[in-house]
Amino acid sequence: MELSEAAQGGLRLLAEPGRFSARAFAALLQAAFRSLLSGPAELDHPDLEHIDPAILKYCHAAATTCIVEAGKHRAEGAAISSYLEDCKFDKERMEQFCTEYQKNKDFLEVLLGSVGRCPLHVTDVSWRLEYQIKTNQLHKNYHPAYLMTLNVESSDSRSQPDLNFSCSMEQLQDLVGKLKDAAKSLERATQL
Amino acid sequence: MEEVDKILIRSLRLSGTDIPDEVQSVREFTTELIVEAVVRCLQVINPSVGAGLSHILPPGMSARFRIGISLAQACQDLGYQGEVGYQTFLYSSEPEIRRLLLFLVEKLPRDASEDAAQPVGKSTALHRAIATTIKEQLAVPWVPPTCRTPRLQLLQGSCLLKQFQARPLVLPRESDPSIGKMPPERKEFFVQFLPPVSAQLSRPACFAPSLLEQNMADLCTDQDWENEWKNQGLGSRMTPEEYRQWKHQRLQHRLLDQLRQAAPQAGPAPQGGTARDLTQFLGTFGAGQERMGALDKGSRFTHTQHLAFKQEAEPTAQIHTLPVSRTSEEELQERQAAEVEILESELGRLVGQIEEIEGQLATLGLTLTQVEGEVRQRQLGVTELEQTLRVKGRTVELLPDAENNMAKLQVVVESSAQRIIQLAAQWEKHRVPLIQEFRELKALHDSKELESSQRLLEIRELHERIRSAADEAKRKDDLYKQLLLELESLPKDVSRSAYTQRILEIVSNICKQKEEITKILSDTKELQKEINGLTGKLDRTFAVTDELIFKDAKRDEAVRKAYKYLAALHESCSQLIQTIEDTGTILREIRDLEEQIESETSKKTLNNLEKILNDYRALKQENTALLGRARET
Repeated sequence: MELSEAAQGGLRLLAEPGRFSARAFAALLQAAFRSLLSGPAELDHPDLEHIDPAILKYCHAAATTCIVEAGKHRAEGAAISSYLEDCKFDKERMEQFCTEYQKNKDFLEVLLGSVGRCPLHVTDVSWRLEYQIKTNQLHKNYHPAYLMTLNVESSDSRSQPDLNFSCSMEQLQDLVGKLKDAAKSLERATQL
Repeated sequence: MEEVDKILIRSLRLSGTDIPDEVQSVREFTTELIVEAVVRCLQVINPSVGAGLSHILPPGMSARFRIGISLAQACQDLGYQGEVGYQTFLYSSEPEIRRLLLFLVEKLPRDASEDAAQPVGKSTALHRAIATTIKEQLAVPWVPPTCRTPRLQLLQGSCLLKQFQARPLVLPRESDPSIGKMPPERKEFFVQFLPPVSAQLSRPACFAPSLLEQNMADLCTDQDWENEWKNQGLGSRMTPEEYRQWKHQRLQHRLLDQLRQAAPQAGPAPQGGTARDLTQFLGTFGAGQERMGALDKGSRFTHTQHLAFKQEAEPTAQIHTLPVSRTSEEELQERQAAEVEILESELGRLVGQIEEIEGQLATLGLTLTQVEGEVRQRQLGVTELEQTLRVKGRTVELLPDAENNMAKLQVVVESSAQRIIQLAAQWEKHRVPLIQEFRELKALHDSKELESSQRLLEIRELHERIRSAADEAKRKDDLYKQLLLELESLPKDVSRSAYTQRILEIVSNICKQKEEITKILSDTKELQKEINGLTGKLDRTFAVTDELIFKDAKRDEAVRKAYKYLAALHESCSQLIQTIEDTGTILREIRDLEEQIESETSKKTLNNLEKILNDYRALKQENTALLGRARET
């Protein structure tokens, strides 16, 4: 875990007992986690009133950065404490930070995990058999074909249209074979 | 043997043989188990050899023989010295199997254990982490979308995913080395108006990405600066602030030059104007946000700057009105749009005015400079004329008494010449010590420079060492963590210390036994020596006695008899000795035979014979069946 000079400076300020009393520290820590996990939070706790707002905002930014970075690295309690120790945190505050972090770790992981993108998830598949007797060009064309519908997972508001396609039997076999291959190679990847 | 078997079974399990828990020693190995163990070992030792072998014993007798033969061949190819054939596997005897399995286990590659001692590379660690994560995720059952917890939703769905969108955040930093001391306006802005980082963004979803990006960008800048400072900054012998300023100026100059070169067509008068604007424009580069209010003059550059700035300023204004009036969003937007329009029209008007006034200013300035030049020239002419007037006036005054005045002038000239010489001497007097001092100071400066460059070198070395030490520490830390993890994941049943203890005990036992053996050997040697001595003595005594008695035997009858008795005695004694020796050898043979019997009984010969008979019958049956089938076809 590495933090920028600015964030480290903020943490160092936060560690000073003269600037932040134990209660103010706890309040700021709560606010930092709250602002990450449940939207913007105001720094208007009564324990924080007597602190210079600029410093308060600065330390708040540093604390949130530290939390996010720790979540990004999936840091354990020991790693975080050693890092905070470098920023001159005393033991009590370190423990406070770590317990708060552990409490919110799952939410934090979900929050960070939801940053990104991935292809659509297929939730279901349905198929029909089609039999083509003749076409405009061919008088006799007895060919079966599959009409496939892949149901795609739809997020609540804007639903994704399902995927429709038709394919011959060989193509379908090919698709199934490829899917099996993919599943198998995933299996293989786990056996390292 | 028990411990050996335990170790053997553990190694076989590691090599992939599925040995049931109740099997505790090699004695309990069934034929199937033996074949499986050997095949697995062969597969691990030499995959190409092992690939052709199946670890499951086929039901047909002939196939079993074939497998036995191929296994024996493979073992011999590996370099097994002992006797090995199909019977070793099919009709096993405990010691033989144990020897063979020990040989195979010895041959097993030790890469796995050696790898553990070596630090695993980053990529392997990553691969392992990926593998474990995939395994975990595969183990989670699929859950319909409506029943998912947020964590499951992340794993199995894509609804919650949001793109990585980062926006710049403003950190209320106390002081920044790249900006310098914070002006009071900025401070005021931080204290009163700047919302906390979490409220600076219009969409809360971008908050975490923005934080990550900000941190990463800051980190990169810090590292860049560090590198630059170590490589070039230290050499320049300036303080970091000075170095920054110097760099800033140099960059400005260079940009200015480039821009000037790029626009050579512009006329001379506007060029001056552009240059001036450029400096302003460039000045805003370093501390853009700071000089918000400083841009009151208008030109093309400053206007664009002005506009860009306006756009930047608006969101912040919007942000701090947001919490105050929580009106609906649309209303707000409408109002904002109206406001923006008004502001833009006003801006356009102002810009027009400014341009007009600037045009006027430029023409006026031009005329002013022209007029000033003229005035200066005229003034110069006036002073010149005044000078000549004065000289001519003096000459006219001096003309009436020319002789005297000439002499006086001569005197004045001479005295002034002398004064010049005096002054020169005085100057010389002052100059010499000053030069001396200057030289000393210069030497001092040189030595200091040398010293400082040495120091500089030392500092650089120190930096290098610090970096390498930090790297080393980090590497070791990583290694430590990884080894700790591996230690946790290692099976706990291997008590290494117990094994070493046993080995030590065994070694000490062997030492003791060796001592005893040597003692016994020396005893036997002594005995042998004694026996040899005694037989020699006996022979010699016998010879002497024989000779003595033989001499007298010719004369005396009694002595002859005695001689006969002596011969008989000697004969019987030697016979006795012979018998004792024979008994010894027979005893030894008996012991050997007993041992042989024991080993034969341990080979389960009877069992094996029965098995062989059964197999023989099965083989015969198979053969007849095959023959029958051949005939049928």
